[in-house]
Amino acid sequence: MVPVHRFRSMLYGALANIRSAAGITITLTIIIAILGAIDKGSYIIVNTIVTGGMWAIMAMGLALLFGVMNVANFAHGEFFMVGALAAYFIMTFSGQYVAAHPGTWVAGAAPFLGIFGATIVGSLFGAVCEVLVFRQLRKRSREQWVMNVFILTLGISVILTNGHQLLFGTGYKGIVKYLDLPSISIFQTLISSDRIFVFLLGMAAIIVFWLFMKFSKTGRAIRAVSQDETGALMVGIDLNRIQILTLAISSALAAFSGASLLFMFPAYPTMGMAPLYNSWFVVIVVGMGNVGAAVIGGFIVALFQILTTVYFGEGWGFVVPSALIILILVIKPSGIFGSSVRGVLEQ
Amino acid sequence: MNVLLDVKNIDVGYGFLQVLWEVSFTIETGEYVCLIGPNGAGKSTTLKSIMGLLAPKKGDILFKGEPIAGLSGNKVCQKGIGYISEGANLFTGMTVRENLLMGAYTVGNRKQLKENLDFVFTLFPRLKEREKQLAGTMSGGERKMLAIGRGMMATPSLLLVDEPSLGLAPLVTNDVFKALDVLREKGVTLLLVEQNAVKALKVTNRGYVLEKGKIVLHEKSLDLAKNDHVKTVFLGV
Repeated sequence: MVPVHRFRSMLYGALANIRSAAGITITLTIIIAILGAIDKGSYIIVNTIVTGGMWAIMAMGLALLFGVMNVANFAHGEFFMVGALAAYFIMTFSGQYVAAHPGTWVAGAAPFLGIFGATIVGSLFGAVCEVLVFRQLRKRSREQWVMNVFILTLGISVILTNGHQLLFGTGYKGIVKYLDLPSISIFQTLISSDRIFVFLLGMAAIIVFWLFMKFSKTGRAIRAVSQDETGALMVGIDLNRIQILTLAISSALAAFSGASLLFMFPAYPTMGMAPLYNSWFVVIVVGMGNVGAAVIGGFIVALFQILTTVYFGEGWGFVVPSALIILILVIKPSGIFGSSVRGVLEQ
Repeated sequence: MNVLLDVKNIDVGYGFLQVLWEVSFTIETGEYVCLIGPNGAGKSTTLKSIMGLLAPKKGDILFKGEPIAGLSGNKVCQKGIGYISEGANLFTGMTVRENLLMGAYTVGNRKQLKENLDFVFTLFPRLKEREKQLAGTMSGGERKMLAIGRGMMATPSLLLVDEPSLGLAPLVTNDVFKALDVLREKGVTLLLVEQNAVKALKVTNRGYVLEKGKIVLHEKSLDLAKNDHVKTVFLGV
């Protein structure tokens, strides 16, 4: 039981937080979401939550990479595509296996194999990029780092999109659904079991990531490197190891999103463009390098995109986020949640 | 008395700019040695090359007989050398306690970690008071104390201290130097880099004078304090 005076100070603390720019944004978002749902239907909230969760995870990966290694990754969408593609193949192969051997454990495990397998494949791609690309640049020169790395990531993007096309063609590679379960009705809305499954997985991923970064020794080491690289060396942290790990985690998060959304968005070579822009929107709006806020930002950007599409039409989907970015960069360039104290989890 | 650190003829530079020329000195276990010199002489560069933040282009560095020149900073830390840098290099987004725990990153033994943490809090009671405060919001003196505390968490045998008094009020400087004395009693060997030559020569056993990247003098600190060259250049006599 929380004593009364403690509860009162917690309440005042919460109210003070709400009054800040961050708090106002979150409150406004929730109000707008509810208004939109009242006006157009509760699928607004459902879609916001599912898509927002994935944008949150994408943005987390992007923010982590920028915060820890100052890498402005414009191939982040391609890791999303790698995840979708890998999940497609795993699901297709397990589907064939299940057709040939009915009643095995594979049938039930397939969605997990698909999503987790794809996540692992994505993390391997990320690790390879670190060793073959970013580490080589680091060895040669630290000058103009952000710009040079950004250009390199454009190159990685070209290689991955064209590699996909070369090896697997330009066609859409999708799956009908992950789970063979009926839809559930929540608040008079029919929600497919896939959406619920993916949402729960996504929330679990965010929680696991957060716990890892906050409480594990390696997680703290990653945060330390993001705050002071020299300091990290001085206390005995192996930078090489942390850098590979950060890349692996960042690309794993993107691949996880791509794999999870495969039932909504089939894989094709250039599918990474929209997720890339969305994650960059989120990261710029909340403040680059702030991983904690990227989670919240994912939902905010998703909401505004969905509302724009619903009220103005499909083609306007990018207009509102872009306008938001212009506003943010003019009014508060450090982002809504940006602060002066550096660190990937800290606000 | 055996040699703990042996720096042999190192040439160090940043890119095309050479900063140290054939710098050599030794430190024996238990000593309190200072490296003094004017601004820009290369004192910090010397410490950085020992710590592995900068690789010497020529020469060797031996620690406990093992070559460490060119090893990366984290490996040098694991060997038992601590570095209290000029800028402290604290983890500004972490609390005092978290910074200290990070200092013990290489310490596997939980009992040893707790012992070291208790020692640091006894050494700097102010840190215990501000245990949950973010390192980025602390004053200059507190940051220096935290930097020293963090450096001690890994139980180093050699501590490289870069300008501990820089930017600090005289009273705080005294506290810092008193803390360094306590470390000495614990058995830590200290290499002190200081612009405040008066203070440095008063507390140390031996001193090296570095000017424009070269060692020009090497005497017992008491003798250095009486040396005419040192007196005119550093002590303003």
